[in-house]
Amino acid sequence: MKQLKAIAVILKTPSYLYVVLLSLMGSLLLLSYFLPVGIAISNDRWITIYAMTAGVVLLDYFMFQLPPEGHRQSMDSTIFLATVFVYGVEPALLTLAISTFFIVFNHKDTKWWKHFLNLAMYTFMIVGANYIYLRFGGETGTFETSFLPAFIVSLAAYFCINVLLIGTYYFLVYKGRLVEILRMFIKEVLFAYLSILLLSMILVILLIYTSLFGLFLFLIIATLLSHVFKQLFLMYHEINDKANKDQRTGLYNHSYLEEKLDDFIKTYREDGNVFSFAMLDLDDFKKYNDLYGHPQGDKLLSFVGSIIKAECEPFGFVCARYGGEEFAVIMPAYGKNEARKFINQLRKTVNNSPFEGVEILPHGCVSFSAGVMEMNADTYEKSQLVGLSDRAMYISKSKGKNTVTIYGEQTYLPQKFEHEINELEQQIRVFLSKDVYTFKHSKRVFSYAVDMAEKLGLNEEERRTLILGALIHDIGKLEIPREVLTKRAKLSKEEWELVKQHVTFGKEFLLASGTYSDLVPLVELHHERYDGTGYPHGLKGTEIPKLARLLCIIDSFDAMTTERPYQRTRTFEEAVEEIQACSGSQFDPELAVPFIAYVNHRIEQDDIPEEIIQQLREQQEREGA
Amino acid sequence: MVYDGILIGLVVGFIRAGWKSGLIALGNIRIKGGWVFPLLLIVQFGLFYLQDYVSFFARFNSYFYMLVYVAGLSLLYVNRSYKGINLLFIGVFLNFLVMLVNGGRMPVSLEAASVLDPHFIEMLKNGDVLYKHILLDSSTRLPFLGDIIPLGPPYPRRQAISIGDVIMNIGIFFYITSQMSSQKTHEKQPRTEAA
Repeated sequence: MKQLKAIAVILKTPSYLYVVLLSLMGSLLLLSYFLPVGIAISNDRWITIYAMTAGVVLLDYFMFQLPPEGHRQSMDSTIFLATVFVYGVEPALLTLAISTFFIVFNHKDTKWWKHFLNLAMYTFMIVGANYIYLRFGGETGTFETSFLPAFIVSLAAYFCINVLLIGTYYFLVYKGRLVEILRMFIKEVLFAYLSILLLSMILVILLIYTSLFGLFLFLIIATLLSHVFKQLFLMYHEINDKANKDQRTGLYNHSYLEEKLDDFIKTYREDGNVFSFAMLDLDDFKKYNDLYGHPQGDKLLSFVGSIIKAECEPFGFVCARYGGEEFAVIMPAYGKNEARKFINQLRKTVNNSPFEGVEILPHGCVSFSAGVMEMNADTYEKSQLVGLSDRAMYISKSKGKNTVTIYGEQTYLPQKFEHEINELEQQIRVFLSKDVYTFKHSKRVFSYAVDMAEKLGLNEEERRTLILGALIHDIGKLEIPREVLTKRAKLSKEEWELVKQHVTFGKEFLLASGTYSDLVPLVELHHERYDGTGYPHGLKGTEIPKLARLLCIIDSFDAMTTERPYQRTRTFEEAVEEIQACSGSQFDPELAVPFIAYVNHRIEQDDIPEEIIQQLREQQEREGA
Repeated sequence: MVYDGILIGLVVGFIRAGWKSGLIALGNIRIKGGWVFPLLLIVQFGLFYLQDYVSFFARFNSYFYMLVYVAGLSLLYVNRSYKGINLLFIGVFLNFLVMLVNGGRMPVSLEAASVLDPHFIEMLKNGDVLYKHILLDSSTRLPFLGDIIPLGPPYPRRQAISIGDVIMNIGIFFYITSQMSSQKTHEKQPRTEAA
């Protein structure tokens, strides 16, 4: 059954079918020269074939590796061609067949069908070269300068058949783009084939005048050259590595990244190959460094570097240490959403990797903030790409760290009141020990508020008020006893009245602090309802300030979509419906519209905080049980 | 010819591993059923010696050689995990094959034998019982596996060899050099010194 399925797959995929057909035809062609078995080859000729085979196997082992990319160039074609010119096609094919047998041993990791395919292709090439050589007046066994055209045309045929057979394969695999494939091919192998032509002519002369001793000399020179080239290649790579790698993390360094970015931007312009770029910055690394010292901080850096490397390498991403505790990743062929998903996954992996001493960090684990950006036509310079991703990364930082932000999708946060955000964040940090839910809730509401401020195009002042207000809106809950806040059962009437008081406590808190008294409306009035049934004052419609109405929507949305003791968690979709249903009664209908649009956009992007997904999953499990 | 591969292998092995650790490595060579090899060699010499005295051995000697070959091949198969042994196996097998299809004797081509002692050629031509060779002619099967490769100057020895011999020697060479310079011997070295 399994075999049948495999055969069906082969028949359906053109490239597989091509490989199978080519291999079969090649081996039939090869066999046709030696069937029926009576091949009359003298003992002398056999010795030659043995020697040629040894040569091919040796040259296959001592491939030429050329810097920079390490194209491996085997010179076995030289021997095949020389054999054709001096001894004829049958010895050449026998040499090919026997040497393939030994080469299979040499390259055990190569798939068997690739050897088979190679055998078939070489058969076509050798037979074709021989045919053309004889047609153009070449004679086997002698060397005259008048054969020169025959040599050249024959080699051209050898080369063309090679390009045609391999080109067709790539054409089938990569569907079209023939010109591009051919251009790449010719650029890469033409020079190599030129040298093969010259070397094969030298070998022909050596073989004719000195017999196998000529081959012996040739092989010694080839082996020595291959050794020298290998040394050169290794040396080049050693130096290259030193120049391009960051010693601490094993990732690429800043200058290599810039070089690569230039390359990617170039291919984007020329061929339209999209890619995304991400900047990563370790959260609170300074704190870790200060506490444990720089050597330990270095260890953390190389630890994170190794994770990034391990995660990126399978995909062929370029990852580099940009500087200090900043890393950068280039993701070829990735759009911004795919890129965000990947970096987010990377973030989770980093979060889940234990490391000594990270419990002192605010998130209790290693974490980073990241900004992602997709290359677009407006970006003309790598510095722009880096700068904008960097900005998105800072937005992630200001949204509470340990998050990934796509540039352009999310808000740009005025740096002016960043220190105020930090200050208020310190205030709500008290909740970490008292009521973790309120802490996380405040951070989420803050994050939504940042996005909404951008979406609504608020002015600087309003933006500041909304964002800071969102962060601090539940500060009054500090006055409410822990048991009430974390109670899982339904609250009694007295307790409920107490909870309601938190808006007033919050207001008093802000008034006492002085500096943030302008946030009072948001803190005090975020539980007022549009139809006038809210608390504490029962204000109605536009009596409630606009920003408080907006905060009310955001606050309710987060409460709906997260786990509360006294209600069922809703999905984003369900919460959107709820807001829609209550717009006009509980919520301002005008402000509900943009907010719903914003949430829908996030659903489309599959950009839902995973703690919420996690809670939903747990709830489903409970309901299922 | 069998000795050439061993000799060259040893020389290269000592150059690569150094005199002392090369010797230690040689001392550490382990072959499964290794004791059988000298035994096979003794049996071969015994047969060679006996064929002059006992006509029974003179007649059936070639078949005894085949048995020796089968024993040798199976030993190599058991040890195939070592580097070079697979080549050695292939070489021995090719020799075995051509002898098997030619009545237990190795065919020697006249051209290749021309590098040898003329006395030997005379014996080949007359069809005298020669311990395990036979002249290669048109009736020979798989002639290309026979002793058709003449060795002579600049090579220091005069000999007619087969492709099986060549592969065999390459195998032996790989085996010895890899054994003499393997990482394992470097680990073993301190322990041996301590002992």
